[in-house]
Amino acid sequence: MPKRVALKDSVEVDSVDLSNFARSVRLTSEHSREDVSGFSATGANEYLAGPTDQSVEVEFFGSYGTGEVHETIYPIHQGRDIVPFAWRPDQTTPASATNPELRGNVQVYTYGPGGTRGDVDTFPVTFNAADAAGLAFFTTPLP
Amino acid sequence: MTTYRVAGPAAFMGHKTGEKFDADLDPEQEKRALARGSIKIVNRKPKDEKEESDDA
Repeated sequence: MPKRVALKDSVEVDSVDLSNFARSVRLTSEHSREDVSGFSATGANEYLAGPTDQSVEVEFFGSYGTGEVHETIYPIHQGRDIVPFAWRPDQTTPASATNPELRGNVQVYTYGPGGTRGDVDTFPVTFNAADAAGLAFFTTPLP
Repeated sequence: MTTYRVAGPAAFMGHKTGEKFDADLDPEQEKRALARGSIKIVNRKPKDEKEESDDA
């Protein structure tokens, strides 16, 4: 597999293509670590993987036009809506084994745009997995 | 089935601005997309139009 420079990523929120308004994506998927250690001769701890917490953080450029970042994400946050999210490394080709697409239904618990004088307006949004299906990678496009 | 046109500046469900597409969107998703101007309804086939039954 070749290394890559992130340039052509696809980011969709509630089916809206916000790729050009985003500049970074980071998935976090973490199983809790449950201590199931009992008495033993070695005294070593024993663990099992517990429940999974998943989220994706996307850094967006602040954009307030019709159908852009604010108009897409703020109503989702305000309405406590659960919406589809999708990210794949290359927007120019459909999902495949070499271009896996992360998909899942998400909620936005925290929404915090802002600005600093003279700086590019960017802010992070965390999309939290919202149902039992979680966030998962798929190697085939949606039908 | 409803025919929509992508009206916002960003692509919607893989369709570019100005393109038409047919879909059965979730009512809540449709409501949000219409409210923010992402899509417009071009034509909606009434749900009452059921296929003829063989029992007749």
